[in-house]
Amino acid sequence: MQRLSRLLVVLSMMVTLALAACTAPAAAPTGEQAPGEQASGEQAAGGVTMSFWTRDSNQEQVRKLVDAWNDSHADQIEITVIPGSDYMTKVGASVGAGAPPDLMAVDLIYVPQFAAADQLTDITDFAKALPYFDSLSPSHVRLATYDGKIYGLPFNAEGSFLIYNKGLFEQAGLDPENPPKTWGEIADAAAQISALGDGIYGYYFSGACAGCNAFTFLPYIWASGGDVLNEEGTAATLTDPEVAAALDFYRQMWADGLIPPGAQADTGTDFANAFTTNTIGMAGTGAFLINNLKTNFPDLDFGVTFLPGMEEGASSFAGGDSIAIPAGSKYPEQAFEFIKWMSSDEVQLTYYAQENSLPVRTDLAENEFFAKDPRLTTAAQAMAMGRTPYTVVYNQLFNDANGPWLKMIQTAVFDGKVDEAVTTAQEEFTKILSEQ
Amino acid sequence: MTTVPAAIAKPPRRRSTLNRQRSIAGFLFVLPAVLFTLAMFIFPLLMTAWMSLHDWPLLGQATFLGIQNYVEMARDKQFWASLWFTTQYTLLVTPAIFILAFALALLVNTALRGIGVFRTIYFIPVVIGLGASSLLWVWLLNDRVGIINGLLLDLGLIERPIIWFVDKNLALGVIIVSVVWKTVGFSMILLLAGMQAIPDELYQAAMVDGANYRQRLTHIMMPLLRSTFALALVLSVIGSYLSFDQFYIMTRGGPQNQTITAVYWIFNNSFTYYKMGYGAALSIILLIILGALSILQLRILRDDVTY
Repeated sequence: MQRLSRLLVVLSMMVTLALAACTAPAAAPTGEQAPGEQASGEQAAGGVTMSFWTRDSNQEQVRKLVDAWNDSHADQIEITVIPGSDYMTKVGASVGAGAPPDLMAVDLIYVPQFAAADQLTDITDFAKALPYFDSLSPSHVRLATYDGKIYGLPFNAEGSFLIYNKGLFEQAGLDPENPPKTWGEIADAAAQISALGDGIYGYYFSGACAGCNAFTFLPYIWASGGDVLNEEGTAATLTDPEVAAALDFYRQMWADGLIPPGAQADTGTDFANAFTTNTIGMAGTGAFLINNLKTNFPDLDFGVTFLPGMEEGASSFAGGDSIAIPAGSKYPEQAFEFIKWMSSDEVQLTYYAQENSLPVRTDLAENEFFAKDPRLTTAAQAMAMGRTPYTVVYNQLFNDANGPWLKMIQTAVFDGKVDEAVTTAQEEFTKILSEQ
Repeated sequence: MTTVPAAIAKPPRRRSTLNRQRSIAGFLFVLPAVLFTLAMFIFPLLMTAWMSLHDWPLLGQATFLGIQNYVEMARDKQFWASLWFTTQYTLLVTPAIFILAFALALLVNTALRGIGVFRTIYFIPVVIGLGASSLLWVWLLNDRVGIINGLLLDLGLIERPIIWFVDKNLALGVIIVSVVWKTVGFSMILLLAGMQAIPDELYQAAMVDGANYRQRLTHIMMPLLRSTFALALVLSVIGSYLSFDQFYIMTRGGPQNQTITAVYWIFNNSFTYYKMGYGAALSIILLIILGALSILQLRILRDDVTY
C-alpha cells in the first residue's frame, strides 16, 4: 500500500511535469502568426527560419512584405505581432531571458536606449555598403547611430504635417489651394473657420495625449529655430524663446475659442473622429491618417501642408520604426539580407509607395504612385526634412501621459501660465536627464 | 515518515498505516493547489521581493542596491499623493457600492415571479471587463457624441456639454459612478446569498414577538450578515486599492496628475520609466498595506454571532 502511494506521488509529479512541458511551447509564441507561416514549417531548401517581431500598428503592410519575402527566398521569416504598448516590455523580457528574436522592428525613438544597453548588433559596415545609404531617412539613421556605430536602419517612415479640411476652407472663404504658411496665418484661418459656428472649430489637438503632441507640436518649435534638447540629447533647452512662443500660439487659439473644448480631455482616441465629422479645420497629424481617410472616408476632401514656423520655415517629426538585429540573433547575416531587400527600390515602390506608405528613402519621395496623390509626396517630403529628439529617456520625457512634456502644454495652453509651465518643465527635464 | 518498529502491536500499527495513507491522500489532493500557488503566487512574490532590492532596468544588467529603493520611496511625493488619492477613492466608492448593493439585495431578496430577470440585469455589468466598461464610459461621456451629455442637454439641465475629465472632482465622480455600475452586482449577489442563508424561523419568531420590519432588519439580518459584510468589504477595499484600468483609460491620471492611483504609479515606474526594481518595491509596500488593512477589517467584523 505504502509503495503504491509513493508510486502515485511520483506518477502525479510526472504528469504535472509532462503537462508543464506540453503547455510551454504552445504558450510561447504569443501574438499571431503570419499566413505564410505554413510554408516556413517545411524548411524550404536549406534555408533558415528567422523570427521577426513587429508592433501591431502597421501589421497589414508588414505581413504583405514578409509574405513577399517568404515567397521568393529560401530563408524564411516568421512574424510575431505585439501590441505597441507592450512592445518594450516584451522585448525587454525576452532579452533578459536570453531569447531575443532574430530580427525586430522597433519605434525609432527607442533605438538609442537599446544601443546604450548593448543589445543590438553593430551593422555599420553592412549599412554603409548600401548604394543608397545616403538617402535613407536621416532621422532614422541618426537615432540608430550610437558612439559612431550604426545599429539599425529605417523600416517604416512617418512624418508629421498639417492636415486641413478643404470643404471648410472654401466655406470660410479661404483658398483651399493656399494653406497657411505661418502661425499667424494658421490662427487667422482658424478664426475664420470657427466663425462658421454650428460646432465647427478651426484647429484641433489632443490635449491629453503626450505622444501626439511630441509628434505635432515639436515641429512648430523646430521650424522656428528652437529646440527642446541640445544636439547630444543631454540637456534640456526648453528655455529657448521659441518654446514659449509656440505655447503662446496654442494658448491664444484656445483662449479665442478656436479649438473645441473637448480637445482638452482627448487622450488621442477622439482625434480622427473629430476630423472626419467635418467639424475641424486644421490639425497636426501623420501619413497614417492619409491612408485611413482615403480608405474609410473617400468623400472627405482634405489637403496637407507642412507644419510652419513662426514667420517662415517648416519642419516635421520623423517617426516610424527602425529595423535592427538583436545582439542574440541566431541569423544576423540572413537578417541583414532581409533589411537590404526591404529597402531596395523595387520593394520600396511595390510594398510601400503602392500601399500608401512612405518609402524609407528620401530619393523615392517622388514616385509614380505618389504622383497620383501629391498629398503623399508632401508627407514624404515632410519625413525627409523631419527631426526626432535623440535621447535614451524619450518615454519619460515625452511619451509619459503624466510626464513633464504634456504637463507643460496643459499648464500653458489650458491654464494660460506659459512662463510657469516652461520653467517647471525645464526643471523636470533636467532632473530626468541628470539621472542618466 | 519513519518506519514503524515491528515490535509494536497490530492495532495501533494498522491505525498508523491508515493515518499515513490518509495523509498521503490528503497531500495528493492539495498538491495541484500547492503547485499552482507556488508557481503563480509564491515564486513571483519572492521574485518581486528580490527585484525590489535591485536597480533593475528593462534592458541591461541589474545591480544590487539593498534597501535603497525603499529609502527612495520616502522621498517620492507622487507615491504618497497616489496612496492618499487611492485612499480617498476607496473611502468614497466603498460605501457607495455597499449602500446600493444592500438596497438592491433587499429588493431582489423575494420569491416573486421573474425576480431572476432583475437579479440578472443588476449582475450583467460585472461580467464585462473593466477595460471594456471604462472605454464604454469614455464614449458615453464624450462631449460631442456621448449619450449622457445628449440626455442632459435635451432635458435642459445643462446649456453646453460637460467635459467630464478636465476637472478632478468631476472625473472622480463619474469614475465612481461607472465603477459602482460595474461592481455593485457582485456585492449584491454576495449579500443576497448571505440573506438567504438566514433561516426563516428567526424572522417568524420575531414577528410573533411583534418585531416590525425595521427591527427585523437591524436586529436579525444585519448582525447575521456580519461575516458576509466582512467578505464583501475586504474584497471591495482590496479591489479599490488596486484600481488602475479605469483611471488609465478614462483620465490617464489627469487632469494635472491628480488621479494617479497607487497601482498606476507602480505601472508608470515599471513600464514607462523602466525602473522595474523600484516598481517592485512599491508593489511590496502596497501588498503590506493591503494585508494590514484586510486583517484589520476581518478583526473588526469578526463573526461572533451564532444562531
